[in-house]
Amino acid sequence: MNARIERNGVVSNALAQIGACALFGLTLLGAVPGSLRHFRETLRQVWFVGAMSLTIIMTCGLFVGMVLALQLYDVLSIFGGTSATGTVVAIAIYRELGPVVTALLFAGRAGTSITAEIGLMRATDQIDAMEMMAVDPLAYVAAPRFLAGIVAVPLLTVMFCTMGVLGGHLVGVSWLGIDNGTFWSNMTATVDVWKDIVDGVIVKSFVFGIVVTLIAVFQGYTTPPTSEGVAYATTRTVVASSIAILALDFVLTAFLV
Amino acid sequence: MTEIPSAPPDSEPMVKVRGLTTVLNGKKIFDALDLDIPRGKVTAIMGPSGTGKTTLLKHITGQMRGDAGQVLVDGEDVRTLSREHLFDLRERIGYLFQNSALLTDFDVFENVAFPLRQHTTLPEVLIRNIVLTKLQAVGLRGAAALTPAELSGGMARRVALARAIVFDPMLILYDEPFVGLDPISLNQVLKLIRTLNETLGITSVLVAHELAAVQQVADHVYLIANGKVVAQGAPSTLANDGSPWTKQFFGGSPDGPVPFQYPAGDYAAALGLRRNA
Amino acid sequence: MTQRRSYAVGTGLFIVLGFAALVYLATQTTSVANTGQGASYTVDAQFANVGQLKPRAPVKVAGVRIGQVKSIELTPGHEEATVKLAIDEKYKGIPDDSVATIFTSGLLGDQYVGLSFGSSKKALDDGGHIALTKPAQQLEDMLGRFFGGGSAPDRIGGTYHVTGHFTNVGSLTPGATVKLAGVPIGSVGKVVLTNDKLDAVVTLDIDKRYDQIPDDSAAAVFTSGLIGSQYVAIQPGGSPDMLKDGDQVVLTQSALQLEDLIGKFLVNGSPSDNKNNAGSGQPSQSNPQQSNPPAPGKK
Repeated sequence: MNARIERNGVVSNALAQIGACALFGLTLLGAVPGSLRHFRETLRQVWFVGAMSLTIIMTCGLFVGMVLALQLYDVLSIFGGTSATGTVVAIAIYRELGPVVTALLFAGRAGTSITAEIGLMRATDQIDAMEMMAVDPLAYVAAPRFLAGIVAVPLLTVMFCTMGVLGGHLVGVSWLGIDNGTFWSNMTATVDVWKDIVDGVIVKSFVFGIVVTLIAVFQGYTTPPTSEGVAYATTRTVVASSIAILALDFVLTAFLV
Repeated sequence: MTEIPSAPPDSEPMVKVRGLTTVLNGKKIFDALDLDIPRGKVTAIMGPSGTGKTTLLKHITGQMRGDAGQVLVDGEDVRTLSREHLFDLRERIGYLFQNSALLTDFDVFENVAFPLRQHTTLPEVLIRNIVLTKLQAVGLRGAAALTPAELSGGMARRVALARAIVFDPMLILYDEPFVGLDPISLNQVLKLIRTLNETLGITSVLVAHELAAVQQVADHVYLIANGKVVAQGAPSTLANDGSPWTKQFFGGSPDGPVPFQYPAGDYAAALGLRRNA
Repeated sequence: MTQRRSYAVGTGLFIVLGFAALVYLATQTTSVANTGQGASYTVDAQFANVGQLKPRAPVKVAGVRIGQVKSIELTPGHEEATVKLAIDEKYKGIPDDSVATIFTSGLLGDQYVGLSFGSSKKALDDGGHIALTKPAQQLEDMLGRFFGGGSAPDRIGGTYHVTGHFTNVGSLTPGATVKLAGVPIGSVGKVVLTNDKLDAVVTLDIDKRYDQIPDDSAAAVFTSGLIGSQYVAIQPGGSPDMLKDGDQVVLTQSALQLEDLIGKFLVNGSPSDNKNNAGSGQPSQSNPQQSNPPAPGKK
């Protein structure tokens, strides 16, 4: 796996990266059963990757919900439909903003941390040392982080959505004066469990979790073991994750809507 | 899992390298290299920078595979081993990395205990005993609660050594163990290498530059340059065996069989001048 | 070791929290919140038009939700929809002659089924049938009614059809109201020209409830107000026989034309209907310029 920048052109370079990442993903899947031996390590990673991201996720969720309610109220009042604010806030967050923004924040916070950590482990021979000690580094280092990401991202998305709806309620009801009962009853009448929560929150966030974590682990594992290499790798993690998230969002929305 | 080396010193060599040829990035690292690592002794591998000494160690552990030739470790050809067998072999080999390669997430105790936890299901009490014993052997039992970031270079290396011997391996590979150490730490590591070899009979392979240290501890020295063994022998006799390689290496002269100038084109032409005929 | 334990606890807490939030979102902010706990019984009703009604739309009585729409299907062989309603068990005692109507919440909202109680002593039960229904209001109908004045339910218990021949229907259109004593009893179904192309045949769809109309009643085309839309008024006769489906109303009075009205004022006479006798019209000298003299109606 050669992550050096080749002068073959941007497109073939990107394609090579995507292909290498996918192949790495398959290898990683093969190492997942082995990682079940290192269950505690996976749990540890879920903590670092998931629980430690809670602060940023919940804060941003709150703000997104608040802003959304503010903007929607403004627009809906043109049609006299401000009673639908709760509905639209919930639908927008469940279907789009929740999964996408959470995944982007995750890529920025946890994805880069995974990439840097694995890259540094490579640079300081820790990966080699593990191989010397007959411990499969894929099973010990890469797979637990991968699994942790898949577990953490949907959970974080759900937290984001909760804070978003609460933020919307805060602005809509407490500040802008929408009736509390109207807010909730309109929302519950329109938001559908299957279409919005399962399809939107769970399915999308699951897919995003897989992709973002895979990219982060891949970049960390295949970076040239120098400090410059690690720096490039973290940047690439964020860029590649962001593009992948938004592209997949479109594809998934087209399928699910 | 562990084997107590019981073979007498003059039996079959622990490591036999025959005709090893490796090409990396177009450069021939090893050219039909032949090497024997005798059992129970300390063998030093020396040579100019970049001749692939660390690479040789990686061939012994199976991390790298040569393009041709054999690398026999305790009778098994490393090149043909499956991954599972390779892992089994590695449990009997200890490796000391140049930069210690301690796992940064764990403290000293956990670092040394890591191989035990990964490969055995020993009860906690036994693990504790083994770890503390090894740490005592390297003189760092009191540092068991420190993190790698809090250790000095020498201490880190000793912890890594404790970790390397936790399974009482049959073979230890030291990759530049003296680099960057102050004289006191250097002597501490030296003492450990010698003690491990004398008391436990562990075959030791040492890749190092420090002549004085090597001369104190090695039983046998190989000098490798240009992918071949260019000199070998006991350290006391090697410096004076008359070969231009040993003369340059042990004498420390900057120019000789290993040239000072990296191969380049004509100097005058590079400067745009013309030589007088 | 203690490190590991705190990680495990913290991680477990994180996962549990996430699931709790998911459950909260799913149950409190979505339509799941509205599904009744507990059992429900099913009744069905036929509608001529369900509009935008969707499954799981609420069923309400007096604005209170008592159940939801279970399924909407086309009645096999008929041009109507069979809608199954799942009503919560705790709302028993709905009279079986209640009327089910499809309403719209607000101006642009979703549609729901409203039940207004009837007076029957017998209550609906599982598998029961609501016979009286009102379909969803179509926008065109609503606008038509707004401008037409008065409204008649389309299919309360069904309609029967009678016809009448008119020399001039004026601006009478299908959907216009049919009134008796000022009360809407049906609507105009079709307006077509007769085979010999000299008259208009108007089909009146009269609600089956009003089946006591004597067969010598007259049908007149009146105007609501001065310049309103036109409707058909039934003036009952005295015959002991009643109008039945397919009968023809013999006595008709055609629509009043504005020109005739003005002419009447100017000429001081009222031309008579040259085909039929109106009950109260006065036959008199017709204005030579009039080609098709209608008769004035007085009601």
